[in-house]
Order: sequence, then structure tokens, then C-alpha cells
Amino acid sequence: MDLRKGLLIGVGVTGFAVLAAFAFPTQVASSSATDDYVTSGVFTPAHPSVVDAFEDFLEIHPEHPAQPIAYTHKIHLLNGMQCVTCHVGVDQGPEAQIPNVTVCMTCHIAIDTDNSEIKKIAAYQARGEAIPWMRVYDYSDSAHVRFNHAPHIRAGVDCVQCHGDMTKQTTAERKVNLNMGYCVECHKQKQVSIDCATCHY
Amino acid sequence: MSHKWGLVVDLDRCTGCEACVVACHSENNIPTAGEDQAARGRTIQWIRVERTWEGDFPNPKVRFQPVLCQQCDAAPCEPVCPTYASYHTEEGLNGQVYNRCIGTRFCANACPYTVRSFNFFNPKWEKPLNLQLNPDVSVRSVGIMEKCTFCVQRIKSAEIQAKAERRELKDGEFTTACAQSCASKALVFGDLNDPNSEVARMANSDRATKLLGDLGTKPNVTYLERGNWQDGTNS
Amino acid sequence: MERRNFLKISALTGVAATLDACHAPDKQLIRFVQEEYLVPGIATIKPGICTLCSAGCGLEVRVMQGDAEVVRNGQTGIIKMGLAKKLEGNPRSPVNKGKLCARGQAGLQVLYNPDRITHPIKRTGARGSGEFQEISWDDAIKEISSHLSTLQTSKSTNVLAFLARPLRGQRRELIEKFLKSFGAPHAVWYEPFDEAVLRQANLLSFGHAALPTLNLGQADYVISFGADFLGTWNSPVSQSIGYGVMRQGWAGRRAKFVQVESRMSQTGANADEWIACRPGTEGALALGIAHVILSEKLTPHATASRTGAQIAGWAAGLPEYAPQEVEKQTGVSATVITRLAHEIARSGSATAFIGGAPLAQTNGLFNALAVNALESLVDTNHETGPILSFTPDVPTNVAVKPDPSQSGLASLAALAKSTPQMLLLYDANPIYSAPAATKIREAIAKIPYIVSFGSFIDETSAQADLILPDNAPLEQWLDGEPESGSTQAFVSVAPPAVAPLHNTRPMTDVLLGLAHQLGGEVAKALLWTSFDAMLKAAFIPLRTHAGSINAKTDDEFWPAVQKDGGWVGASTGVSPAAQAHSGAAPSKTASDVKREPEFAGSASDFPFYFQPYVSPSLGDGSTANLPWMQELPDVLTTAMWSSWVEINQKTGTRLGIQQGDLVEIQSAQGSLRVPAVLSPGIAPDLVAMPTGQGHEDFGRFASERGANPLAILAPVTEESTGSLAWAATRVKITRVGGPEQAKLVLFSGGLSGFPHEEESR
Repeated sequence: MDLRKGLLIGVGVTGFAVLAAFAFPTQVASSSATDDYVTSGVFTPAHPSVVDAFEDFLEIHPEHPAQPIAYTHKIHLLNGMQCVTCHVGVDQGPEAQIPNVTVCMTCHIAIDTDNSEIKKIAAYQARGEAIPWMRVYDYSDSAHVRFNHAPHIRAGVDCVQCHGDMTKQTTAERKVNLNMGYCVECHKQKQVSIDCATCHY
Repeated sequence: MSHKWGLVVDLDRCTGCEACVVACHSENNIPTAGEDQAARGRTIQWIRVERTWEGDFPNPKVRFQPVLCQQCDAAPCEPVCPTYASYHTEEGLNGQVYNRCIGTRFCANACPYTVRSFNFFNPKWEKPLNLQLNPDVSVRSVGIMEKCTFCVQRIKSAEIQAKAERRELKDGEFTTACAQSCASKALVFGDLNDPNSEVARMANSDRATKLLGDLGTKPNVTYLERGNWQDGTNS
Repeated sequence: MERRNFLKISALTGVAATLDACHAPDKQLIRFVQEEYLVPGIATIKPGICTLCSAGCGLEVRVMQGDAEVVRNGQTGIIKMGLAKKLEGNPRSPVNKGKLCARGQAGLQVLYNPDRITHPIKRTGARGSGEFQEISWDDAIKEISSHLSTLQTSKSTNVLAFLARPLRGQRRELIEKFLKSFGAPHAVWYEPFDEAVLRQANLLSFGHAALPTLNLGQADYVISFGADFLGTWNSPVSQSIGYGVMRQGWAGRRAKFVQVESRMSQTGANADEWIACRPGTEGALALGIAHVILSEKLTPHATASRTGAQIAGWAAGLPEYAPQEVEKQTGVSATVITRLAHEIARSGSATAFIGGAPLAQTNGLFNALAVNALESLVDTNHETGPILSFTPDVPTNVAVKPDPSQSGLASLAALAKSTPQMLLLYDANPIYSAPAATKIREAIAKIPYIVSFGSFIDETSAQADLILPDNAPLEQWLDGEPESGSTQAFVSVAPPAVAPLHNTRPMTDVLLGLAHQLGGEVAKALLWTSFDAMLKAAFIPLRTHAGSINAKTDDEFWPAVQKDGGWVGASTGVSPAAQAHSGAAPSKTASDVKREPEFAGSASDFPFYFQPYVSPSLGDGSTANLPWMQELPDVLTTAMWSSWVEINQKTGTRLGIQQGDLVEIQSAQGSLRVPAVLSPGIAPDLVAMPTGQGHEDFGRFASERGANPLAILAPVTEESTGSLAWAATRVKITRVGGPEQAKLVLFSGGLSGFPHEEESR
């Protein structure tokens, strides 16, 4: 083997090994976007760990995060439910609510109670715990973007457009690549402002 | 009709109480620097109250002056930003796009009012102080410049609400955090393009002046000069 | 291999090797099921009451859903709950009319303070060691209950003491009822800057033992004797609203504002004319002005006979207060005195009032009576009513007013003498804020059993044996009747804006629960199971009185009062002038009141007057644990996170003290060391220091920072009220170090110059 190649491989491996040592987060990644960062002194990175930095930069999002309950959108929608039945507030404000375990149990106290997943839901409620759903759609903190659902719903944008056809999904999957280009294209088509301050503040 | 946001600071009403400063911190997720970083001049204040002393005891004079981003029409901070993070929005604000900012700090250098603050470190809120953070406002991370946005989140929220109700925004329907808290009504915010708005009327007052106006920055913040006591008559 | 492939492969390998499955659900905290249902992202506005000073402003609390880390039954988890995001003034409050001051905005940091006590704790180590251990609410209630029962059965109930910050309204009523039915003495209501002297003066002058309400918006001339009315005195937000109007609220009319003080305050900085007056001689100055008005008959109709009767020599035209004489006493030139008299008399409507240091002298009562007499002489515009008046009483007995006859300090002294067996503590910190010379620390140490209801460990609550932490103000039912600031009768009430974050309980509910357990007279006196039931019973009778809420039934009325944050009385039809002076004539005149101030410490040993002043951000020290307040630059010096002493520039030069040097301030009672700030706005023989720092034990933001000026004050009092004359101590100053030792933090960064250097920020 060439000496240059060998050196290159050696440096590369050492470099990654060093980075790997710093890769593991110093605290548990938590679901709240406004959690406190770690301030350790003079050097404070923008991301809590190298892993987070890579994922943000390469736009790596978990495509199909593992959910605690194998919830099937397909079945619920085919049974006549609407998106807004559970995702309350989407036409009033910025966020679409993930329903409370009590919402699920209003029906499932009677419906399909033998199902093992339903039993799990009942168990959560009995323990006084909320179901720890994993977030599928979000923007990284470093995008500093404020997305507001309500104006989009009021403008007639269908949920399917950004969230994919849920009648074909069980647990939610990130089917649509919600990068900025996607948003800007639609804004341009609908002739809505693409001023930066529309979303970034 | 498009809006042009402006603020009037009446120096005859300002008492130097700094309620505006704390209201701004509360509304806009501004971090606390702590004693050490504060001693290094790294506190972040989107609005600050300047004071100038003149004279000596027993006739000292103090003048208070709240200073905030002037939202200049010809902002010196905009042309110097290499990534277009500092730019002019459609409604006449000087916008700061946090995710574009790479922290060159040219904008702070160019600003003659020194109203731009840099995040030298990641902000830290000791739990549970983080529960107070405003979800309508981004939390800026290290390496990002920030400054007064005229509470753009409130502007957006009011505009969206007005659009939902299919009507025009009315003057006085909403205001910035600083103006809302100001007891003596020294701060008045509104749409300069609306001739009937309080801010448009006050900006045309004969006491109106601009801060460092001769630099040609064309600020959208108008200062009203302090009054004088004339013996027997008032001005 | 090709370089491009090599780089791709090593990148992927490297990244893959470092990618961590750190998003697995099992690494997260458990999530508790929501107890309240809020639409995420949408704010609800709820009423509230601000408790950060005694003005009693109304709040609007912006509540939004968010994730909070909480502990439930010993388990840590995350719950979605309503969180308070922003405070604004309540537009319906006649006191603050939708505005809020700097301290009020920081109320959120009380609620979400990391140093809050989160569950009941019991002392395990020695007192003051800080060793506490968690106990359950049941055990805690059992313990305090058994102590109270022991006192009951041993028939020594008069040895129970309750020490609290002064309250008005049903919370006061609850505490006093509890104590009375228990057989214990009145509560000890203590705060360092109580206004006992002014209330006593107002009782004698106007028949109202209360702080005045100032309708400044109608003024053409305001002369304030030492009152920091735009910052910390009385009802600052209400007064600031009026100030804005009097300046620029009327076309073609602008009031003149004169401030008389020895140290330029934030308020004084706004004055058109600032008059430096020798400490303690402000009353003489007021009488000097009155003399000119009387002798030259500048206000032909007014004689101010009732208030004048309080001043010996008034009827004779104040012969001892000719301008030349007053000049000798006060240091204010006779020309100025005469000119001011003419200006005031010529103006449309004028007012004179007093606050702050002039009251905190041994002759504080005299100063107040003198200024009140001047006020009566000049505030005579009957068209719009007097500028100075008193907030009308609420028609029913919904609010219980304090007994003005004793100052907090006198009550503390009585407490120390009475040797109580058990002390209940609520939001009072005399170990910090009373001068060391009062020996309150030693007195409290002797009390065998101490229970604190406060939310924080501070110097006094650190001595507790048991702590039953209160809910934060925004987490509980509150009520209040502001003493001043409103020209209409007003009572406020607010339900909790947010659910309790920690395992705490409101003191009010705990006390009611204890009353039930104790049974007998106590249970009979306090029938309600919860504080909101007690509030409802107190408020309902207001329904039939003319006011801001029209409701046909009680069930309609009560929710409406809560929604507004209170009830405002309709105007009573009594003319403001008559009302302001409507109180009963005093049974005696204050003829033997001390006229000249006396100071502790000889002028030769202690050449400087010492003036502590209430910090606009830290207050009397109770808001020092709020980071926003620590980092708020002092508006005159820009200092943050620090203590400092203001010294006249020329004096500094004379003593070899430079900006930022460490100096020692020494009184006969003790000494402290703080950085020096040279100021042109202070008399050459006076030094001033803000209160609030110098805590030894008050959380991570406030502890071991700066120094506490109250600690070195002499226990000199104003005789008639027993009130601490906190401006009557003399000190000496010595330079003991340079800026590196002093560590003064200024907003401009480091030790940048003040006041003549350019601001660098």
C-alpha cells in the first residue's frame, strides 16, 4: 500500500475516533425544543452533541420513528375519523395537538379492547401516564423557524400535502421532505410572501 | 395598504424606570449572562436606557434615553452582512434571520447605535426558569446576532388574526412588549403608514427628532425632545 | 481505491460509527397524563395580582401549554401543563391601568425560580446549618398540628407568634382571625420600609391613616420632598401614569416638577429643578415656602387651618421660617425659596408630598406634617379636585385595614420581648432587613419552635424547624385592597393562573385546614374549607353596591369579579376635596414633635450622613433572587450584580477615592465594604447605598453578593411611631482597595467610566 494512502487512512480513522469520543451526548436528548443547553465554559457548541450537529447538517431525520403504540392512521381514517378529530387546534394556532391518552380511551374503553396495543393504552391511562409519542415532524432548533398551522389550514392547504396520505400509513412516517425549498415553492405558487420574516423570527 | 412599523419615544415622559427592558427580556427569550459575562460586557439588552449626566452638585442634570434598534430604512447593518441574515423586510423592519447568521459581527460593527448583541455562548436557563420561555420566539444559540425585532412575533400574530377575520389591522390592536409595559406612555408603537395612528401623528410632532439622524440611516424610531419649564408658560 | 470512494466510505463509516440511537423512548423521562386541557400554541389570558411590592397592581398572565419537569409522588416526569409566559398590567385595575413596572415583570421568575422549596422539609441538623430532610405533607401537618394543640391544652396560647410581611384584605383577615380565636396576640406585620410615619402624619393632617393617592395627571406643579414616586415609593405605576399625562398629556400645558432630596434618585433625575436640601430639614424648607405664601398672601383663600394647626406658629404666619432662617437650616438659598413659593402659588393646580429619607429621620413626623400643611395650602383647585387624596373605602367589610398605630420595627421589638414559644413565619425576613443592633436574630434563635410558610430559604426562614412551602403567588387564590393609587374604591381578587408546579400548598388553605383540626373556637371562627370559599363569602356582599359589575345573582357576580380581577366602586358622589379632608379631626395636635433631626454618631467621628435607598430592582432585598433583577443595570450608575456606595465626586477626590475603588463604610454599629461610584448627584457630606444585596442565604443568584446597608444602621427611631429612622445614621469612609478587589460590574463592561466618560455600549 502507498504511504500516502496509509497516512490518509490513519489520519481519517484517528480523526473520526476523536470525534466519536465527543459524539455521545452529555445529557439525554429531550423532546422539548426549549430545554436548557449545556454551558460548560468558553467553548459552547451550537448543538448538544456532534451527532446532533451531523444530523442537522445532513438533514437526517428518523423516517419512521418507533412509536410506543403501533397506532394505525389507516384504520382510523377508513373508519370515518378526520385529522382534526384528534389533532385539535390546527386551525386555531401554530400547533397540531397530539391527543391525550384520555381521548383515545373515550372510544377504546369499548372498542377493540382485546387488542394488545389497546391494552397498552389502557395500561398507560391506569398508571396516570401519557403515551410518550416520538415526534415525526419538526424543524431543528438551528433552523429558528416558527411554523404556524392555522394560516395554512385557513388557506385550504390539505393535511395530505405536507404530511402525506395518512390513509396509506400506520404510524406516521416522514413522507414529505419538508425542507425550505418545499415551503418556498408552494408559497411562490400560491403567491404568498416569501419574505424571510414570514417564518424566521 | 402595507404596513410600516414605527416607534415613538417621548423623552419628556420617560422616567428611566426600565420596565421596558425587563418586559423585552421576558417576551423575547433574552438570556441572562450572569455576573462574570456581564463584567465582560456580554449582557444582551435589546432595549437599554442610556443616561447622560451634565453639571455638578448642587445642579446636576440627568437625561434618560431608551435606545433600541432604530429599524433604519437605510440600515448600515444590512449591506455588510455576508449571508443576508440582516435584511430589510417587506414591512420596513430590519429583520434578522437567525439561521443565516454565521456570527461575523460585521453588522454590530456597522451599527452606529450599538444595538446589536452577540451570543457569545449558548444561553442557559436553570430549570425551571426555562418554563417561562416564549414559544412564539426562537431561542438563539451561540454565534448568532440578535436585536430588537419590534416584537415581530406579535406583529405576525396580529396580522394572521386580522387575515383570519377578514379585516384590516386596527391601530392600537396590539403593541410591542416595551410599549405595553411603559407606565408613563413614553413608548408608542404603530403603523406609520396609517395617517390616523397615534405613532404617525406623534412622529410629526414639532418635538420630533431622530437619533444620529444626520448619518442618513433614516430610522423608524422617532424621539420627542424633552420639554422645558418656561416661567409662567409651558412648552 | 479511488479517492472519492475512499472519502465517501470513510465518511459513512465514521458517521455510522458515531450515530447513536439516542432517540430511543426508554431514555426519556416518563410523561404524566395531562391534568388540564389547553390548545397548544394558543395563549389564554388570566387575571392576577402582583405581589412584588405593596402597591397591589393588577396583572394579566399569558398562559400557554408547555412541557414541565415535575415530581409526582416521588417520581420525576414530564407533564403538559399551562405555563405562565408573560405578565402584563391588567387594564381593568384602576391602580395600574394595564401597565406594569420592572419588578412586576419579573414575577415570573418567582414562580419558576430554581431555588423554590419544592416540598415540605424538616430540619435535621443544627439551626441554620441548612440540613433539611423531605417529609410528606401529612407528616408535616401532623407535626405543626401537634405543636399547636400542645399550646392549646397547656393554655399558653398567648405564646404563639405570627410574623409576616404586611398584608391587606382577606389574607390578613384569615391570619388575624386564626390568632385571635387561638388566643394568641396580633400578628407582627413587618417590612423594613413601612410607612408608619407618613400614615401617622396623614392621620393628623387629613384624618386618613393611609398612603396618599396622587392624581398627577391634573397637576401643573409638583414638588416632591424626597419621594421616589416614579421608582419605589407608594404606588409607582399609578404615579408614573399620572406623570406621563402631566408632562405631555395636555396640549399647551406641561407641569413643572421639582424634587427636593440630598441624593439624586431615579425620580429626581426627571425633575425640571432639583433642589439639594440638608438631610432632615425638608420640613423646614416646606415651611419656608409656606411662610412666603402666607406672608405675601399669594393664595388669597386658602389658609389650610386644619393641617396648619399641626404646626406651631402657623396661625401667626410661621415667623420662625422666614427664607433667610430657612436658608441657614437647609442650605437652600432664600432666593430659591421665594421663587418656588411664587411659582407654586401662580400655577393652576399644585401639590406637595413627602416620602423616603425625609420621613426616616428622628424628626420624620415633623417633616411630614410640614409638607402636608404646604400641600393643603396649595392643592386647592376645586374644579378637578385635589391632586392628593385618599383611596375611598370599600363599602362592605371585604377588606381589613391594618392598624396604623405601630411601626413594623416597634412590633418586632415587642415580639423579641414577649418570648414566644412558637413562631409562624410568612414572607418576612427581619434577620436580613432589620438592623443588627435590634438583635432580632438572637431573639428568634431563642424561640423553641419555628415554622415557615415561605417559598424560599432566606436568612430568617433558614432558622425554621419545619417548612411548609407556599404556592407561588400565581399558583394560588389572592386578594388585596390597594391602599393607594386609585381614586375609586377597589378590591382585587384572582384565582390561580397556573397549577402548582411543585409539591406545595397555599398557606391560606393550610391555615384553614389547621383551624379545622384544632377545633373549638378556631374552627368556629374559620368555617371555610378552602380560601376561595372564604373569599367568595367576603366578596358577595359587594354585588348590591354600585360598582364595575352588574349582576343579578351571586352566582353571576362571583365569576364576573374573578374575570375582571376585582371590583371597582362607583364614585361616591362626595366631592374629592371634602373626601380628602373628611377624616375626624385629631384629638390632639402634634405640638411637641421633634423639629430638628438627630443623627447617630458624632459628626467628628462619622463625617458623612448615610442614606440607604430602596433599590428599584432588588426592592428591600426580597427580589434579589430574581436573575432579571440582578442583571438589570441601575439606571443611574449602570451597575449590575453588585452593591456600591455613591460618593460625591469632589469628596472622592479629597479622600483619594477613585471610581470603582473598594471602600469601607463604618458606623458605630458595624462596617461593610463595597465599591465606590463617584457621582455629581449627591451632597458632599452624604453617601448613599442601594438596599437588596448582602444576603448570606437567599439562593444562588442573591447569596454572598455585595453588602446590606441595613445591617449597619443605628437603632434610632422616630418617637411617636417607633419607626426606624433609617436615614439617621452617620458613617465614615475609608479607601481599602482598588477596583480589582472591588469588582464592580457596570453595564458598559468592566469599570468603564461614569459619569463623564463616554459610554462604550
